[in-house]
Amino acid sequence: MRKLIAFLIKYSVVILFIALELLSFGLIVNNNGYQKSVFFSSGNTLLASFYEVSNSVVEYFFLRQANDGLSAENTQLKNEIVNLRNQLQSMTADSTVRKLKHPIDPQNEIAYIYAKVIHNSTNKMQNFITLNKGERDGIKVDMGVVNEEGVVGIVSKVTEKFSVVIPILNPKMQINSKFKKNNYSGPIVWDGKDYRFARLNDIARHVKFSLGDSLITSGYTYSFPEGILIGTVDDFTIKESDAYYNIRVQLAVNFRTLSHVQVINYLNYEEQHSLEQSVIQ
Amino acid sequence: MIILVQNIARFIILILVQVFVLNNIRFSGFINPYIYILFILLLPVRFPRWLSLIVGFIMGLIIDSFTNTPGVHAFATVLLAYFRNPVIKAFLSIEEGANPVPGFYTFGVSAFVKYVVSLVIVHHTAFYFLEIFSFENAGLTFVRLLMNSVVTILIIFGIQSVKSGKS
Repeated sequence: MRKLIAFLIKYSVVILFIALELLSFGLIVNNNGYQKSVFFSSGNTLLASFYEVSNSVVEYFFLRQANDGLSAENTQLKNEIVNLRNQLQSMTADSTVRKLKHPIDPQNEIAYIYAKVIHNSTNKMQNFITLNKGERDGIKVDMGVVNEEGVVGIVSKVTEKFSVVIPILNPKMQINSKFKKNNYSGPIVWDGKDYRFARLNDIARHVKFSLGDSLITSGYTYSFPEGILIGTVDDFTIKESDAYYNIRVQLAVNFRTLSHVQVINYLNYEEQHSLEQSVIQ
Repeated sequence: MIILVQNIARFIILILVQVFVLNNIRFSGFINPYIYILFILLLPVRFPRWLSLIVGFIMGLIIDSFTNTPGVHAFATVLLAYFRNPVIKAFLSIEEGANPVPGFYTFGVSAFVKYVVSLVIVHHTAFYFLEIFSFENAGLTFVRLLMNSVVTILIIFGIQSVKSGKS
């Protein structure tokens, strides 16, 4: 007996070592045992909460990819909406009566091209936006640019891989707008002061409107289809002697945070343009 | 007392770094250095052997729990803790009564390098073969364990050479 105890003491470390190794080995072999695998795994509530904290920090590093993915998906969904809307319109009684060979209203034939803003300014007198898509992606001069908030601007120059957009925040740019509720139209021009506001001109004295009214694209240009939000009436003044209102418009798009845009490809541009040119000459 | 606090802090920090930083590296597909064994490597020389086995087991089990590999790290770490004392005895003789903490200064560069290299290889060999749990593709497993050992050893030397100035 004493010999046994002496033996155990002498080899206690070795015995402990073997016991622990057998225990570990048992864990490895019994990897599938349900209870053990839950307790010694990241399914354990405590460990899971550790991972949750860690993830809440790390996920910020992947927001950019998430954004890209969402924007691409958004563009795709918008295209789908346009297609479905066109189909719907072609099925309404109105168009079947006309018996057009063309089932879709031609001015609605548009497709969206998704692009990312790679350069943007809001603090200059003449601001420009650069996009990461160009000719090879189907972008052409004069196409309209929007994002999910509203109208951004119009494409002014295109190279093979990039394009430059003149945003509303540039006095060279005039966007034809109209009141959503009564169709009175006038050009919106930026006065170079504040990236949040622009001016609406040519609204005559007799026009009735109020603060907060929406201004949308008129649809008279090739660039934008009708009905895209540009901004809302923020403030207006009129002097006794004036014939036109002096209206300040709050722009729908926040140009400071612009990151993803959609370029509007009006599919019947060539046809309409050449037709109109032939009339002018 | 200071050594106790130091070791507890080291225990926690190494586990956190291992789980939340190093296990997420996946550089070139299979580089995943295991730095947490530095805790066992840096226990004082005369730290009770049975206790180092138990601490190693617990530490391995914690890492296992985070990586869902029950027992694998525990096995390898207990093995490492067991072989620590024979390896120290093999590479240098410690005077009676002295209880140095392993490091470049206390062990001398060559003894410390041998100590770390041999123990890291023991640990990694056990770990990678147990993780796969087969000798199929032993060549690939061997490459993995060698590359990871090199990275682990380099990181350990990096940490130690930064630290050794003050202690």
